[in-house]
Amino acid sequence: MNKSIETMWKQGFISEGELVVPKVNDLYNRKSQNLVDKLQHMFAVNIKAIVIGALLLLVVMSLIGAPWLGIYICVLLAPLVLMARKELDKSYNLSKGQSSLEYLESFNAWLQDSITRYAIYYKFFYPLFYVGMVSQGLASDAGTRVMARLLKAYPTDYVFLDIPGYVWGLITVLLLVVIKYSAALYRLDLNMIYGRQFKKLEELIKDMRALKSE
Amino acid sequence: MGSDFYQQSILPYAGIIIKICRAYTHSQEDFDDYYQEVCLQILRSKDSFNAGSQWSTWVYKVALNVCLTNLKQRKQGEKHFVSDALPDEVQDDLKAFNSDDINVLYNAIKHLSEIDRAVILLYLEEKSYSEIAEIIGANTNGIGVRITRIKERLNKFINAQEGTHEQIN
Repeated sequence: MNKSIETMWKQGFISEGELVVPKVNDLYNRKSQNLVDKLQHMFAVNIKAIVIGALLLLVVMSLIGAPWLGIYICVLLAPLVLMARKELDKSYNLSKGQSSLEYLESFNAWLQDSITRYAIYYKFFYPLFYVGMVSQGLASDAGTRVMARLLKAYPTDYVFLDIPGYVWGLITVLLLVVIKYSAALYRLDLNMIYGRQFKKLEELIKDMRALKSE
Repeated sequence: MGSDFYQQSILPYAGIIIKICRAYTHSQEDFDDYYQEVCLQILRSKDSFNAGSQWSTWVYKVALNVCLTNLKQRKQGEKHFVSDALPDEVQDDLKAFNSDDINVLYNAIKHLSEIDRAVILLYLEEKSYSEIAEIIGANTNGIGVRITRIKERLNKFINAQEGTHEQIN
């Protein structure tokens, strides 16, 4: 190599005016590939999807004779909608005008904070959702018939609300499993979708911190 | 986008944005997208610009931050991480500049980690070590050492590439 990289750079841009500037028409309608924008967009879409989904569920549940379960799920999802809205607003306040390390750290802090809040929510959501579904199942005609058949086939002295004790035991064990693993389940789900991006973000921050400490 | 703002506050600095975006993209489509994204973010965050600092420094910061956090999903099977070299099949189809040298240099820069790319771009733009440290958020003392290492790697890469070309020719 005859030229230094400084010379190659300078000579390559002797006339910056010759650089071809891309068109910026219709900027807002163009698909953004930025992660922050992507997440903001996903958050916004998720909020709408949850609201629409909850309302549809209410209608469907009412049609199949389980309106209370529909209302119950809507109530369970209401805090999620409020929280998602709040997180979305927070993300808009991230400034890109900080140093790269500060920006990445603030972005990561926001991300981790959001994940922690969602994990807390899901820790309650999954067990409560499970309880709602089980209650509806047991209270339904089909559930009542199944319990009666079970009692006939496997009689027991321990019966509460016409439900055999061993069924209560099974329901309780499953509830404990759901309670124990609900936060882990949420994080597993999250890592499956965003794991690679999160890892890359961590690597970036690690590299920048190393540069800062050099 | 506000046309006046773009004309007056972004277009004069388009060169900066182009040079940075080019170092983080491998296709014309991605390049256009990154460029537009940087412009959009400058527009969105202009209210938080501190009048005490230079507008060009602000543009560098926003451009780098957009490029660094552009963690888009790559094609299935390509698993690059920060320090990975690009596999041979990911060839640059973006030849935005006429000079062969600059394209060779950009090709070498793209084999650096994302942080090293940011550092060397700012160095080549003749930013002082303290300015680079401010933009990146690093310690000034470490910048000089890092630049020396990056330059060695770039020279090695370019020499290796030229050697390959000579052998082919």
